[in-house]
Amino acid sequence: MIPRSLDQPWGRGFSAKHSHAFADGGAFPRATGSVLPRGLGRSYGDVCVNDSGTLLHTFRRDRLLAFDDVHGILTCEAGASLADIAQTLLPRGWFLPVVPGTRFVTVGGAIANDVHGKNHHISGTFGRAVRSVTLRRSDTGLHRLDAPNPLLAHTIGGLGVTGLIEEVTLELARLPGPGIMQETKLFGGKSGDGGIDDYLALDAESKDWNYTVGWIDTMDKNLRGVFFRGNHCDGPDEWLAPNAATLTLPVDAPRWLLGRWSARAFNAAYYRAQALQTAKRSTIPLWQFFFPLDAVNAWNRAYGKRGFIQYQFVVPTDAAREMVPRILAHLRESNVASYLAVIKTFDDLLSPGRMSFPMPGTTVALDIPAPNDNDRRALDRADAMVADVGGRVYPAKDARMSAVMFQRFFPQWRELEAVRDPMISSSFWRRVTREGE
Amino acid sequence: MKSHVIVVGATSAVAQAAIRIWAARNASLTLVARNSDEIARIAADARVRGASDVVTAVGDLTSTAFIMTTVATFDASGDASTLALIAYGSLTDSTRADTDVNYLATELDTNFVSAALWAQALADRFARVDCGGGTIAVISSVAGDRGRGSNHAYGAAKAGLTAFCSGLRARMHARGVHVVTIKPGFIDSPMTAQVAKKGALWASPEAVAAGIVKAIDKKRDVVYLPSFWRFIMLVIGHVPEKIFKRLKF
Repeated sequence: MIPRSLDQPWGRGFSAKHSHAFADGGAFPRATGSVLPRGLGRSYGDVCVNDSGTLLHTFRRDRLLAFDDVHGILTCEAGASLADIAQTLLPRGWFLPVVPGTRFVTVGGAIANDVHGKNHHISGTFGRAVRSVTLRRSDTGLHRLDAPNPLLAHTIGGLGVTGLIEEVTLELARLPGPGIMQETKLFGGKSGDGGIDDYLALDAESKDWNYTVGWIDTMDKNLRGVFFRGNHCDGPDEWLAPNAATLTLPVDAPRWLLGRWSARAFNAAYYRAQALQTAKRSTIPLWQFFFPLDAVNAWNRAYGKRGFIQYQFVVPTDAAREMVPRILAHLRESNVASYLAVIKTFDDLLSPGRMSFPMPGTTVALDIPAPNDNDRRALDRADAMVADVGGRVYPAKDARMSAVMFQRFFPQWRELEAVRDPMISSSFWRRVTREGE
Repeated sequence: MKSHVIVVGATSAVAQAAIRIWAARNASLTLVARNSDEIARIAADARVRGASDVVTAVGDLTSTAFIMTTVATFDASGDASTLALIAYGSLTDSTRADTDVNYLATELDTNFVSAALWAQALADRFARVDCGGGTIAVISSVAGDRGRGSNHAYGAAKAGLTAFCSGLRARMHARGVHVVTIKPGFIDSPMTAQVAKKGALWASPEAVAAGIVKAIDKKRDVVYLPSFWRFIMLVIGHVPEKIFKRLKF
């Protein structure tokens, strides 16, 4: 699998100057500046950017090296994509225990960002499935890290800076088949701000469902939304492989399409479409349940040439009921346009990475097209609201948070800095580790 | 029917992608390459993906002695393959070839002579009674359709290989051996990693490999991959030499 752009992150919006190197299993590449390992470049922001430095591409190191199909233990090169692994092993009854919203990410990237999915309350983060990692460092060479190992705990969620992840051993999950039995339920939609209560109640009664997630209309005062919950089930053999993406966005969306009025109209239309759907319970291919946007090539062009940012925060369980509506009201009143916001509750399953984003609480992710100065100021204020209640903003998706805020969200960052490979850096890491700002 | 495939130059990006397609069909594979660590990884990958049996041979693909001993090993072991893909090549640096005749000789040998020897030796083996025919697929290039200033040595070697395959196809037709000439355009692979700007003409190794497997399945003679290259090369082939020699591409 080849990244769509070797230079830009998925959120586009900015371009950086890079030299390119390709991981080849040999010694760490020599470079004059810093080096950043990179998989498929699906991170929205600058954790996958190394301006004026070298990107060390891993997407060609994608071999599956061994698979024990009795216990579901896979060893592969870190450039293997989740798409490839899922498609190869689903016909044999195995699937990744945790998948993010796109399958076009590498195993190395999934570990470096310790990604999560709709089953966080059951399975935790991707890192929990990692049994061992082979890490190549520029200073100390090759390390095999088996859990529990402090350097492994820094590598999981370590944003790539502890070294080049070369090989990984993962524990996969057994599935009954390629289907998902899905239920959808509307929430909110009444007057008053009951949307969040409805959501939290639905989430609480759905703890024994494998997958739960809400779509939330952040442009609506009442926080109406649609709650999805699903479980694995069998399905016809045609569902074993995803449909190839037939739709490619050929051009960038124009700017006038991306304002807050369009966002209002879009969200309202989406809500009505869901409300009209008669089947509240359906069985669909798991590809469609997990990766709806993967069906459209280059969907990031929908947000125009100037790109978009994704803002994902989590607030602790105790604060969720009060703070989620308050933060969203603040963004709405600041005229920040947002499409397709997603809400999900994390349970108390421990993340294995020292820098992992998930914590027990409620997380909301918003897409914000072409952010202007007003949007940025509003997001800075939202950062402070999140920090004040002990929450965090997700580095894997960030392109804007200040160093001060990052260091409040992740006070443990100095531990990661202490074990950082001296040759590795990223635009993100330089931005958020500045001192005294 | 389960297929048995020999892949010469198995570490090339296109070969790896083709191997994955055959592995998913539970083919048995004989992989030949120079780099032993890489070939072990590719063999492991093929096994995980469903290849029923994988054997490897490691050596200098351009060495006549290695070609002869490898094919003799197939004779001795009764290798069941009736399909071979010859997939290696080296993108020649034309500027270096201008002044370094030894380099030019090595490159011509890699891209033309050795590939022709593999094709000949394997075609002969498949034509023998114990194999009962077979298919040789050879990766040549659109660059072989006309010598260009930026690419003269590589283009010439591939032109030679294309002509050799065309003749071999005719020679072997009556003996039950089919030859497929594959002419890819630009491929986004490690071989072309240094080319910075990649536009719409560039294809992924996976797409080219899918085209190769399809061409083999359909017993095509000559294929351009992707197919639009046939028209591009048709146009390029018709530019008068008086003009062509002034073009810088």
